[in-house]
Amino acid sequence: MTSQPEATAGPIIEFRAAGYRLPHGAELLRGLNLTVSRGETLVLLGRSGAGKTTAMKMINRLLEPSAGQVLIEGRSTLDWDPIRLRRHIAYVIQETGLFPHYTVEQNVSLIPRLENWPPDRTRARARELLALVGLDAAQFLPRYPHELSGGQRQRVGVARALAGDPAILLMDEPFGALDPLTRVEIRREFIALQKRLRKTIVIVTHDTAEALLLGTRIGLMDSGALQGVYTPREFLHSTDPIANAYAQQLRDLEQFERGQ
Amino acid sequence: MNTLQFFSQHGSEILQGTLEHVGLVAATMALAIAIGVPLGILVARKPWLSKPIIGGANIAETIPSLALLGFLLPAPWLGERADRVAITALTLYALLPIIRNTATGIAAVDPAVREAARGMGMTPRQILFQVELPLSLSTVIAGIRVATVLTIGVATIAAAVGAGGLGEFIFRGLAMVNNRLILAGAIPAAALALLADFILSVLERRLRPAR
Amino acid sequence: MTKMRLGLLGAFAAMIAVTLAACSARRADTIVIGSKNFPEQALLGEILAQQIEARTHLRVERRFYLAGSYICQQAMLAGRIDAYVEYTGTALTAILKDPIESDPAAVFARVRSEYQQRFHFDVLPSLGFNNTFAIVIRGEDARRLHISTLSEAAPVAHEWRAGFGYEFMERPDGFPGLARTYGLQFSAQPRILDLGLLYRALLDKQVDLVAGNSTDGLIAARDLVILADDKHYFPPYEAVPIVRDDALSRHPELRAAINELAGKISDEQMQKMNYAVAGEGRDTAEVAREFLHANGFN
Repeated sequence: MTSQPEATAGPIIEFRAAGYRLPHGAELLRGLNLTVSRGETLVLLGRSGAGKTTAMKMINRLLEPSAGQVLIEGRSTLDWDPIRLRRHIAYVIQETGLFPHYTVEQNVSLIPRLENWPPDRTRARARELLALVGLDAAQFLPRYPHELSGGQRQRVGVARALAGDPAILLMDEPFGALDPLTRVEIRREFIALQKRLRKTIVIVTHDTAEALLLGTRIGLMDSGALQGVYTPREFLHSTDPIANAYAQQLRDLEQFERGQ
Repeated sequence: MNTLQFFSQHGSEILQGTLEHVGLVAATMALAIAIGVPLGILVARKPWLSKPIIGGANIAETIPSLALLGFLLPAPWLGERADRVAITALTLYALLPIIRNTATGIAAVDPAVREAARGMGMTPRQILFQVELPLSLSTVIAGIRVATVLTIGVATIAAAVGAGGLGEFIFRGLAMVNNRLILAGAIPAAALALLADFILSVLERRLRPAR
Repeated sequence: MTKMRLGLLGAFAAMIAVTLAACSARRADTIVIGSKNFPEQALLGEILAQQIEARTHLRVERRFYLAGSYICQQAMLAGRIDAYVEYTGTALTAILKDPIESDPAAVFARVRSEYQQRFHFDVLPSLGFNNTFAIVIRGEDARRLHISTLSEAAPVAHEWRAGFGYEFMERPDGFPGLARTYGLQFSAQPRILDLGLLYRALLDKQVDLVAGNSTDGLIAARDLVILADDKHYFPPYEAVPIVRDDALSRHPELRAAINELAGKISDEQMQKMNYAVAGEGRDTAEVAREFLHANGFN
């Protein structure tokens, strides 16, 4: 699975009545029907416990659906070898999960090394990836994660995830742990990156501005179900009470500014 | 003959005894690590195993060492050679700190790191060897350190069942009421324990991952 | 990462290497003599050691006061000692776990062949004495009643009180068997006494007959008599040097040196040496040297 457009028609990710129930009862997700087209950025927006992370984790089979199915490239996740599936899907989480005992270079070249790439190709790729996320290779490759700032760590996390040039990128509240200023900065860079990479991206967030800025579509989730899918413009002007509540957040800010 | 003369005259005997002792300890630690670390990993993976495995090791630890050595003497094959009996008993003692520390060390690995590793498509074995074990190595070494010092001490009792080592000097000295002989066993044993503790704690410190 | 893994493997390998080295480190021309943990054993070990030092160019290391037959056997198996003196009866029952017999020649032959076959140890000819159980009475009683054997004592035993150690009372091949074999009946149940007090009680006439060992020092030093075991009830415990085949093949001169001692230590001589060390507190090495000198060995 590469980033070249496939001859196969159809969505790259598809949820068909997908649901997830915990081993001891609680249903975290039910009846999710959703498609993601190749090259688009879908943002799953909702409050904590809405089921958005659950849905995302079903894409790379960290969770298996207890009802319905999730199809990647037209095949159910259960039919994929989970290891191969995950090697070709980038996964970025809020805490980054960088290996503390690896240098930045070792972290970033993890997937190439697992795939047994020749060492010079690996090294070149590492440099390439750091450049992609805006970090100076010479300075950062030999450093350890604990020597980096939050923003730098997040960038390395993204670089690491992209190493295998996967077609799909999953991001779970990737900028949530950053301070607001860094957040804005990284967001801006990410938008530029999006345009260059042309990958299918699924982002989980509870931040309205982020959803509007980054997403080509927004999937609003609440209490384990999909409330609706909107383009950013549709979302802003929606009359749906939940969508409205989120949009209101932004209007309050505008009002505050105008009031000053 | 003063103590210093005694030690210089009987130097080769004492060296011999020390080597025997180190041999017992080395064999024990090799076995205890080979058995204890995998068991610790198992307990970390399946917490419900904690009770039987760690509980079992705990029971072995509670049995007085001399009694455990005595229990093993009538065992077929084992009981025929004193070093087999000694190494078996010593290994059982050394297991608890190793299992416990391995399990704790692995469980303490940052869940975010584990999740990222899983999400990137690392197999459980790759996660074990490239992430969990390296990150918990310092804790595992700490368990090995405790076990080693413990083993050096309990190995002196193994002489009571004929396994040799530095304990033999102590028992002979007791039978002959000869303090110098007792010291000939006790001092090297204590020195060994201190040395092992020092070396392993240096190793433990150097392996602690920077956070 | 790989550096760490290499380091750990290295440490592991070092541990194995040390284990192996520990087994082999000893100077080539050294023999280690062991002994059990009572004075008679230390004396015998010392005699063996001094004889070897006098007759050969070998260095002798002494590893005496090992806590018993099992410990000595383990030390022999592991090669930590090359030789020690064992008693044939003990070898037969405690080490070989065979049933006891009373014919000394049969016991010796059995021990010799099984030790060679099972352990590759050579059992050399007896040093001369038999450290078996001894039934002891006061000299004055022996002379007055004209008795010197257990059969002769049986008719008069009903006038006596006996004193035994706990083990002798309980062992089936101790008092119960003895009483049956000789038809011994005492005036009352035998008193159970602490081993260290047996001879004192006999000398103080609190008891008239005790069970000790035939080489006990006090037997020579006081006017005490051992009643002969004419029916050969007690098993033989002949003192035999046991040497590892391995040591003998490396140093064949050992055999001749040790065999010179064969049959040279009588029960009385052993009693006297035991008394010198245990009763008079003299130095073991000195007493051993005296014995060897007096008997033309050095």
